[in-house]
Amino acid sequence: MSEKTKEPGVLGNLFKTFFAKHWPVWVGAIVLGTLNILLFAIKSPWGASGGINNWGENVFKSIGIFGLENATATSTSLYGMLCVFLVIGSFIGALLSKEFALRIPPKGELIKGFIGGGLMAVGATFGIGCSIGSFYSGVPALSGGAIIFTIGMFTGVVIALKYLIWEMEKFPKFSSGKSYNFLSGTGKSGSWQIYLGWIALIITFIIAYQYSGGNKIMAWFIIIGMFMGLISQRSRFCIVKAFRDPFMTGEADGSVGVMAGLVISVFGFTAIKYFGIGVGDIVVRAREMTWVFPHFFFRAIIGGFVFGLGMTIAGGCAVGTLWRVGEGQVKLWASALGFLLISPISKLYIVPPIVKALPQNFNFKNYLPDYLGYPGAVGLVLFIILIWYVFVKWNEKTGRFSAF
Amino acid sequence: MENKIDQTLDCKGLSCPMPMMKLAKAMKGLNSGEILEMVGTDPGTKSDLPRWCEKSGNEMLEEGELEGGIFRFLIKKK
Repeated sequence: MSEKTKEPGVLGNLFKTFFAKHWPVWVGAIVLGTLNILLFAIKSPWGASGGINNWGENVFKSIGIFGLENATATSTSLYGMLCVFLVIGSFIGALLSKEFALRIPPKGELIKGFIGGGLMAVGATFGIGCSIGSFYSGVPALSGGAIIFTIGMFTGVVIALKYLIWEMEKFPKFSSGKSYNFLSGTGKSGSWQIYLGWIALIITFIIAYQYSGGNKIMAWFIIIGMFMGLISQRSRFCIVKAFRDPFMTGEADGSVGVMAGLVISVFGFTAIKYFGIGVGDIVVRAREMTWVFPHFFFRAIIGGFVFGLGMTIAGGCAVGTLWRVGEGQVKLWASALGFLLISPISKLYIVPPIVKALPQNFNFKNYLPDYLGYPGAVGLVLFIILIWYVFVKWNEKTGRFSAF
Repeated sequence: MENKIDQTLDCKGLSCPMPMMKLAKAMKGLNSGEILEMVGTDPGTKSDLPRWCEKSGNEMLEEGELEGGIFRFLIKKK
């Protein structure tokens, strides 16, 4: 570093607070949880697979196959746009911290990205939601199915991690080989990234402003989506990490972060449901049942399992994939591509025949307060989080379940 | 004093979790006091690796960024 560097001023220091170092995961997760509550207060909670599916439908619509000509255009789909701006937000976060680069991995990694993305698509279709909809939002929504989905996902992660370790031992060549790195922002010559970051940030606000006349909710979704991407990138918020790392390196920080976000969301979501906040002209019951999907318990357990396999092989959950796309990690571009292409196909052809074969009474909406009351439901969810916390902290100390 | 590098691990282009997995495996193969050089491009490594060293007791001797967005770390086995 040059000695001539000036002491940064007050605003310079503020900028450094956000963009010089990564944020602790728990800080990011709590802010994400708060934004999730805001999304719910405005309309409905955070979700990612629906938006990615919307992208896929629009791809097939443009080539005119699978009869998807009635698919909602992404520019008018709330969740489609939320996902678009999540990617843009992460792009902005990466640029402002000079962490953007096109990182092209060895071929084997690209293949794993695509397959992982495809598995996530099938899992999300089957489980009616992804690591966000059926977990990070579903659990705070007090959905019994979300807890089942989580158990399935957890199992999928542990098994796929065993596969990854086996692959690394037996076929190390698969994850090594030629790789490329372009457009990185190292040193002074990388300052263009900061300028471009500011430009992209301003453009995002202009687009949100343009929507604000006719579609106020969309304007908010755009801005919240952008911040969600930026915060995820800065804090490296990732659901796979939370489930995988205790079994890999024994690390518990990712898990504890996600738990912190869950706890905040549990209180926010419960308040919204309990008081029927934002109920508008729908009935309170509909507000209560928001993000409680008819997947208890067959669809949830199978969907969660397949999703867990997919996200571990891809190296990013639904949101982890999206923000890594914005950061320039090309493996996750393959994963996003697999996700968006396979999602409509699994919705149309793969999942329906399997669901038809399942007994109908295995796929209902389970709203925990219906059985336990609000105190019981919230108590149960917090208790499960506490057990998980004790487990990961104990494991971090003893290394009992970690592979390395 | 120049550090003597016993092994170099190339994780360029790899995304999470491959760099940390490969690193943990490589460290297992080293003897106490030996030094591993790791180069990679995943920004996640910048926070994952120091945290892992702190918890596993291995010592991070150097961390820096080379030209072209490549991160470089030197880790001494406990």
